[in-house]
Amino acid sequence: MNTTCLQYLASWHQPLARAIRPVFLSVAAVLLLPPICSADAPDGYPFQPFDQAMAQAKSDAKPLFVYFGRYGCGYCEKTNKEAFIDPTVKARYIANYALAYVDAESGRRLRLHSGERITERELGTRYNALVTPVFSFLTPDGKPIYRMIGVQRIEDLIEADRRIQAALAKEAQ
Amino acid sequence: MKIADFVVLTLCFMLPTALTASSWKFERAIDVSGPNTGYFHHIDSSGRRNIAVSEQIIAIAWEDDRDGVPRIYLAYKGATDNNFNHDIRLSGGGEAYEPSLVALSGGRFVIAWEEDGYIHARMASLDGTPVLGPIVKVDSNPSSQVNLTTHGDRVYAVWSQRRGRFGRIHATDLRPNEKGVLKLGMACPVDAIPPTDEQLYPAAVISDGRLLVAWEDRRPKHTIIMAAVDHPGNPCRFSAAYRISEKPEIRGLPYGSGHGVSRVALGHYGHRGVFAAWEDKRDFRDGYDIWGAPFLSAESRFGSNVKLQDDFGGLAKQRHAALSGHRDGSLVAAWDDEREGNTDVVLSWQDDGVWSDDWLLPVASGEGHQSNPSIVLDTRGDLHVIWIERQDIGATTRLKYARGRRHIDK
Repeated sequence: MNTTCLQYLASWHQPLARAIRPVFLSVAAVLLLPPICSADAPDGYPFQPFDQAMAQAKSDAKPLFVYFGRYGCGYCEKTNKEAFIDPTVKARYIANYALAYVDAESGRRLRLHSGERITERELGTRYNALVTPVFSFLTPDGKPIYRMIGVQRIEDLIEADRRIQAALAKEAQ
Repeated sequence: MKIADFVVLTLCFMLPTALTASSWKFERAIDVSGPNTGYFHHIDSSGRRNIAVSEQIIAIAWEDDRDGVPRIYLAYKGATDNNFNHDIRLSGGGEAYEPSLVALSGGRFVIAWEEDGYIHARMASLDGTPVLGPIVKVDSNPSSQVNLTTHGDRVYAVWSQRRGRFGRIHATDLRPNEKGVLKLGMACPVDAIPPTDEQLYPAAVISDGRLLVAWEDRRPKHTIIMAAVDHPGNPCRFSAAYRISEKPEIRGLPYGSGHGVSRVALGHYGHRGVFAAWEDKRDFRDGYDIWGAPFLSAESRFGSNVKLQDDFGGLAKQRHAALSGHRDGSLVAAWDDEREGNTDVVLSWQDDGVWSDDWLLPVASGEGHQSNPSIVLDTRGDLHVIWIERQDIGATTRLKYARGRRHIDK
């Protein structure tokens, strides 16, 4: 049983948590821990595999926003729960980007625009996603524009979006 | 000068020595599959067994997309030949990936791969005019990530079967007959307990007559390395699966399930020595490092984890660990490593149970990117290495080969 997850789950109300701990732990272990503690793309966002998101980015003429995560990644989970949950972040990122999620340990296959078949894991290596999470803004053909490493706050994501959009607007003039 | 400054300076002066003191002498690298390809080669198979040697015949299996479709190809040469023979296509008409290759006696080889979502295998007899045996489907269920291992003329395959919601590691033996046909044994799950999350990318060795299997397992909601060993004389009965990648001390973070590990490889050496190596992110600040563990045969379990790479690689990322052992007790590891700024192939080897300083393979380092090594020690102790070479990230690739011989200082 994962202690760090239990600490998190129980931290919302210490006395109550102590009282219900035995039952809580048993139930949580069976029902709650797997979905809560596995870091994945945040809920409610239309994240796609990288190659599909890249195709969307080209057709919609939008930048790509690539979330390099890892199964069980703590900082990914923290960013999901504390930043991506924000409705402003959600609205801006869905509107402004083609969203890609890459599991940096996954063998899922992608086909790049060069024609090369590559796994998500190898794509993470190409984009230097050494640690997770890494959030990369890319041009529709995959060139890096800007990236953020590690835990992000709501204001970090909003500020990054503001900068990217400002740069795009300036370029369009 | 502060002591810390002195230590850093000393390490800086030691670094070139550690990376250039040569215990191996390598011949020049040659292309396996033609110098000007314009397409993409991959040697990314589970367990990283893409090169094998039988009776002085060196065979290599890989995937490339030269005709627009990923397919499996084989090339081979005699030990004294300067070049490899023309490529032989092994896979059928479908999209094929991740071949694994092992050697039998008499210039014979067995190759397995994934094609259209199923594991296939065939034999190749390369002593004289090459003869390919028929392709057999190893599992009638969707399956991927096959790894082969052999001991004498016994061949075993392990793979991740995708029959249910999660991948589950299966094993079977492949019995080659004199006509080049592979007869399938009974396939069985390595872990008797049905998976509660993904079981992926297995590797196997036969040690002391027993099949030892390791794989990636996501049951604790992050990836760990687990292993099991079969019971002598009962190939469908395995020990309880157990974790071999250790859990570092909990840092008290309220999120996440644990650190990441990736892609285990196994090497067999000496009479009953086995070593597992994998990529490990327990030091999460600088990407993966190469960690491993020895198999303690007397206790039938893996021992404490050790870091294979030396301290100079700590700030760089390492990937794609491969292992090969020899009956004389030698054990060599290879991986790709970015400590010098670009991607180079690095070797380390065990002397008296201690891993050597890391050594940049001269023919697979320097300008450009050299990655994804696969290695094999032949019966003489020569080391055969293949790797992928590209000038820039994303550029088309070349598949390279070189042979090296170790110099023992007496």
